[in-house]
Amino acid sequence: MAIGSLRVASTARPPSLRVRLRTALDRERALGPLLVAPALVLLVLMVAYPFGMALYFSLSDSFIGRPSHFIGLRNFVNLWDSDAFRQTFQNAFVFTGLSVACKLVLGIWLALLLNEQLWLKRLIRGAVLLPWVIPTALSVLGWWWMFNSLYSVVNWTGIHLGLLDPPGPNWLGQKYYAMAAVVIVNIWRGLPFFAITILAGLVSIPKELYEAAEADGAGPVARFWYVTLPLLKGVLAIVLLFSTIITFSDFNIVYVLTRGGPINSTHLFATLARQVGLETGRIGEGAAISLYLFPVLVLVVFAQLRYVRKRAY
Amino acid sequence: MRPVNRRQFLATTATGLAGILAARTPPALGQTREISYLCWNNFAPLSDKKLAELGPRFTKETGIKIRIDHIAAPQQAAKYASEVQTQAGHDLVEMRMHVPWLYEPQLVDLSDIVADLEKKYGKVLGSGYEAAHVKGVWRAVPQYHTTFVAAYREDLFKKAGLKTPVTWEDLYTVGKELKKMGNPVGIPISQNFDTISTGSAVMWCFGAKEVDKDGKSVKINSAQTAEVVEWYRKMYRDCMEPEVLSWTDASNNESLQQGKAGWIHNPVSAYIVARDQKLVTADGINHHQSLSGPAGRHDTDAPRSIGIWKFSKNVEPAKEWIRYLLGKKEVYDEYIMSGGAFNQPIFTKLQDHPVFKTDPKLAILRGEGVNYHTYGWPAPASDRVQLITNSFILPNMLAKAVTGTSTKDAIGWAESEMKKVMAG
Repeated sequence: MAIGSLRVASTARPPSLRVRLRTALDRERALGPLLVAPALVLLVLMVAYPFGMALYFSLSDSFIGRPSHFIGLRNFVNLWDSDAFRQTFQNAFVFTGLSVACKLVLGIWLALLLNEQLWLKRLIRGAVLLPWVIPTALSVLGWWWMFNSLYSVVNWTGIHLGLLDPPGPNWLGQKYYAMAAVVIVNIWRGLPFFAITILAGLVSIPKELYEAAEADGAGPVARFWYVTLPLLKGVLAIVLLFSTIITFSDFNIVYVLTRGGPINSTHLFATLARQVGLETGRIGEGAAISLYLFPVLVLVVFAQLRYVRKRAY
Repeated sequence: MRPVNRRQFLATTATGLAGILAARTPPALGQTREISYLCWNNFAPLSDKKLAELGPRFTKETGIKIRIDHIAAPQQAAKYASEVQTQAGHDLVEMRMHVPWLYEPQLVDLSDIVADLEKKYGKVLGSGYEAAHVKGVWRAVPQYHTTFVAAYREDLFKKAGLKTPVTWEDLYTVGKELKKMGNPVGIPISQNFDTISTGSAVMWCFGAKEVDKDGKSVKINSAQTAEVVEWYRKMYRDCMEPEVLSWTDASNNESLQQGKAGWIHNPVSAYIVARDQKLVTADGINHHQSLSGPAGRHDTDAPRSIGIWKFSKNVEPAKEWIRYLLGKKEVYDEYIMSGGAFNQPIFTKLQDHPVFKTDPKLAILRGEGVNYHTYGWPAPASDRVQLITNSFILPNMLAKAVTGTSTKDAIGWAESEMKKVMAG
């Protein structure tokens, strides 16, 4: 028996490295973590680490280039004493509320339009995406010129069309106009995201449902209300979720257009955090500003994702 | 030569690499003498062009490569903060006003270079000393300074028979006429440095101050500040347009150059750019002496200096650049001349520099009879004063007042914000 076994052992060659690797990779327990690892490393480096640092800073009296100490929630409490912060808090909700509401209504309208049989449909669908594709800082610079008090093409056009009285509104110098300007640019920038995503939802609605509704005598409004809208709810919830988060944390538009002015009337959390944390060096306070809405946004994400999941199952 | 086998090659390179990583210093052969310099986008653009020309010449003479980057003035504070926080970035940085005070623990002692420059050019002017001489150590090397003057459309004044103002009150009288002519006064009231420069000058002339001489007591809440606020309120209402609330540092320059503003408070850059770009308004622009008030004639002086971060691995080559740019008389002269007197020499023996004689419209820069100060005066320079600047408290106080907040409330708000900064 022993000789026989030896013979077997000597004739069976050990598997090559390639074979062993292939066998290992065939096991789900090994392949899964291996495939996830790069994404995990990226997440840890690019999201978890900065988030952890921001959290630490927000709980400290950290000042640029100087040693810091843990101070608990003092930054978060003290921020309410700052009228710039209170103004920013209000601005963030006004800006996000107005922008997201307008983007939603206009986005549905644009998606319905793009879903029709149009001439040069592909070209138009591509063109609609342009504001979303162009780098924000660059396109907002264009808007800055259009709203600029000295060169405003918006005012020039309005005055020449008889719509505005000379010299026209001071878009970036008066608080309500300045807020209107940043909201307009945000809508212009974010509309393609709404339109294209909703369009994808529209395309997936079976034509038979519309035909059946039409056969039952439903007009365009009824078809939209009882067929389109209910079937778009899932898509709309996701779009609203993303847009609310992105709009709350907007930075580029306000930074390029108004820098938060006049008198802090357009500051958002991100722009105020930059001003306090980097320009005046109070990193701890700046981090607290940027994290202020984090708990609220987590709740919004949780509620909306739960709603989407409920609909899916 | 003995052949090297694969095993020996791997062992040698691995040992070498481990050594380099442990020492965190590349071997002499691999060390490139390369430095990077971050400075602002100069309002006299030819000055930046000259800098780009001087860089390669420096490399040719010294063998040290230099990369010169520019950044817009409003972004400097955040950029420097992020470089300090990450302990990475440029080797040399150009700094405005009291920024060296703010970053004192992060800046290399450059007293040796300043001592050499002072031997050659005389003492650094007071503004440069205040800005860069931090607690007995030169944390940056003063390179030039920029004084504010009154820039106006002389042609329009002559046409309308207007006299150039002597006091800030005179400006109100003239300003009303200018606004009627469609050429309003252009004093920014927004979150930018020009607003602080003009606001500070008006405050000093009216006898108001932000912080007292002791550098600790906030003194913004005073009858003099109330007078300043009231003056701004009537200027905004009768002599200016609401656009000033959205202006950047460049806007008043552009407004004068493009033929809109009739009077601005600014360094000579507005005229220099108009002249160099041959704009139609250039001939009509001139300057007159800084304005005065009940407490005298005061104006803003903005010094700029060059510092080296302590985290730089190229401190010696970086010092070489400063010695080349500021220490070589012919290079410094060339650099100063390129700025067309926007960048004024900051050493006492150079105050009769040829740059002041290049254009009769620049003669005003001699500043006779004007008391120049840096931000925060009469408080001594400090990191707190720089923080008050960076927090834009003065501009926001003025903006609040001209847009409806009562004088008392606007000043009260500024006082509370300044006290917060002083308390740390």
